[in-house]
Amino acid sequence: MTNSPKGFTLNNADSCRVKFARRFLRSLIEIKTRQTNYNNNLSSSPSSSSEIRRRSERIKLKAYSSMAHAVGPRKAWTRALLLKLHNRAKRHRFRTRKRSSLAMVLKKKRVFRVKNHANFYKPAAERGNYSVLNSDEKTEKLRELVPGGKAMDICSLLEETAHFIKCLAMQVQVMHEIADQLSN
Amino acid sequence: MESAFKFMEMESNELNSSDPSQDCFFKPQNWDDSSLDHQQACDPFESALSSIVSSPAAANSGAGDGAMIRELIGRLGNICSNNNSGEISPSQQSYNNNNNSTNTSCYGTPLNSPPKLSLSIADHHIRAKLNVPGSYFPPSLVPLSGDPGFAERAAKFSSLVNGQFGMNEAEFGYRSMARVDPGKFSRGLSSGPGGRVSGSTPNSEKKDNQISRSLTPENGEFADSREGSSVSDHIPSGVFGGKAENGNAKKRKSISRGKAKETNTPSSPKDAKVAGETSESDAKRSKKDGASSSGNEKENGGKAKAESGDGNEKQTKENSKPPEPPKDYIHVRARRGQATDSHSLAERVRTDSLNEVRREKISERMKFLQDLVPGCNKVTGKAVMLDEIINYVQSLQRQVEFLSMKLATVNPRMDFNMEALLSKDIFQSRGSFPHAPYLLDSSSLPAFPFGYHHPQQMPPLHNTISTATGTQFPVNPLSAQALHRTPSLQLPAMDGFAESDPQVPTFFEDDLQSVVQMGFGQIQQQNFEGSMASPQMKVEL
Repeated sequence: MTNSPKGFTLNNADSCRVKFARRFLRSLIEIKTRQTNYNNNLSSSPSSSSEIRRRSERIKLKAYSSMAHAVGPRKAWTRALLLKLHNRAKRHRFRTRKRSSLAMVLKKKRVFRVKNHANFYKPAAERGNYSVLNSDEKTEKLRELVPGGKAMDICSLLEETAHFIKCLAMQVQVMHEIADQLSN
Repeated sequence: MESAFKFMEMESNELNSSDPSQDCFFKPQNWDDSSLDHQQACDPFESALSSIVSSPAAANSGAGDGAMIRELIGRLGNICSNNNSGEISPSQQSYNNNNNSTNTSCYGTPLNSPPKLSLSIADHHIRAKLNVPGSYFPPSLVPLSGDPGFAERAAKFSSLVNGQFGMNEAEFGYRSMARVDPGKFSRGLSSGPGGRVSGSTPNSEKKDNQISRSLTPENGEFADSREGSSVSDHIPSGVFGGKAENGNAKKRKSISRGKAKETNTPSSPKDAKVAGETSESDAKRSKKDGASSSGNEKENGGKAKAESGDGNEKQTKENSKPPEPPKDYIHVRARRGQATDSHSLAERVRTDSLNEVRREKISERMKFLQDLVPGCNKVTGKAVMLDEIINYVQSLQRQVEFLSMKLATVNPRMDFNMEALLSKDIFQSRGSFPHAPYLLDSSSLPAFPFGYHHPQQMPPLHNTISTATGTQFPVNPLSAQALHRTPSLQLPAMDGFAESDPQVPTFFEDDLQSVVQMGFGQIQQQNFEGSMASPQMKVEL
């Protein structure tokens, strides 16, 4: 955590945004070329609804992964998100490229620890945080929403939520612009 | 009148039933075993009670009841002052033995702890009879002199008569456990049901917890006050009113600790540890001698409130100590299921302070989140804020899904649009000029090797850069491969455009803002399409 964990300087935001935009566009191009190749090879009709759905799912995953990569593994939620996507990729047998990139990312960040792992299996109240917010149903909901939220106490959960919201908003904005541009 | 009769019946019933919840040593057999003095004390008490009850009181109004109660209490006071002696010890000892095992039940009868006090025998009897959980303290009672247990007993009496005021067992125990200062009591009580002790505001913080106020049975007040509610819940859950809870629990601890001073010597360090101590504990500990010292007591209480210092507590305690030597020992009102030794108490105090710090952090972060989430400025309270946050996160995620669907359906007319988009998005980042040259380089360098290989295209590029009013973007259309190789394009291109490099950053420094504001993307696209010949250009390195 930085000294001001809530501080989000402009440079940080811009560089994140730029990085995310690049990665996302790159993955978009990738998906699109794959689609065109697929279409060209099979000479089939343009995408059906199921294909579109699949593609949109992939695009969504790519968006999240590019966001997580752009932010970097210094935040708990990005690590959790990257882990989740990594496992999903392993399960769905995506390209090895994803795995290696993840491994590289993880290697770069030498200190890669999932915090409070031992605390994960305890009920929130027993973790030693006597705030009632720990076991609230709303807090549980928030934990589900924020990646990696289940293993955090309420304090860090709120912090991660703040950062997550910021990044999500930025992601939505960039995607919106891209979509606007592409549909012009 | 009839309520008084009911009260008497209640008492007798409860005594005879000897249900375990009472768990007091005032079982009838105790009385039988006790010395004769007890018996003697019983009788005058009962006789006085019956006489009072049968005496012609006012009508059935509440005021009438109050008057009757006052009489009752007055007579009790007489009885008790007669019987005030040190004869309690045998029964007390037995009680103490019993009590130690049941010490942790703070919701037991309020008489569980008080009997440790050196009350008079009659006092005990009266307490036993009064032991009706759930009763409430009376609003107004006459000032009592003599035995300091008066006010308490009187309170119980009138509370029984007045019936329940929504106060639960815990509250009753909490309040009855206090050794009420008669003077203070009178102050509060004489103020009447709706009254307040002067100088203290309703619903003030837990520290402002003078006996008088605590004994004032104001429904709304007690329903609202965190004191009352917190007493009923000693589970260490740091609720919103958790501070009050903790404070109250601490108060009780301090009170009891103060009272147990006789038996437990290191009480002062414990007192020191109890944070923010309360005037109530002060009031309870500093047994005010009589109505005459009421003013002093009030000041003491106020002082204790103001300073909330342990030393102050000790002072008031010591001040009041000499006049009432029997009241030296202090009850430790433990939280449910927790021990009362010094270590655990200290531990609890420490955890409470830690909790406070944690709560501050949490509220700080909630404030930050409030800024982030749009439309949350007016919302207060953690629950609603959490709701808003959850809704916002869900809406953002839904938006991402929708946009990804949109992107999936958009026509793959991508090739040069992508790069344009890329650069455009890059320049969407506002205000970071250090990025601009880099971005420009990285984005336009694909053009440079392009220009590098096709030097004749350089002048047009350059012209467009210099002439255009910030709408030119020398981004060449590149294939996906070229785009991927963007980082590697930088080096070979640099030497070819040394002369243009200084200009380009300046150009963009000047016009970046206008670029962004002028509907940059569209114009750029137009110019781009105008200036560039073919969309597909491969860069060979």
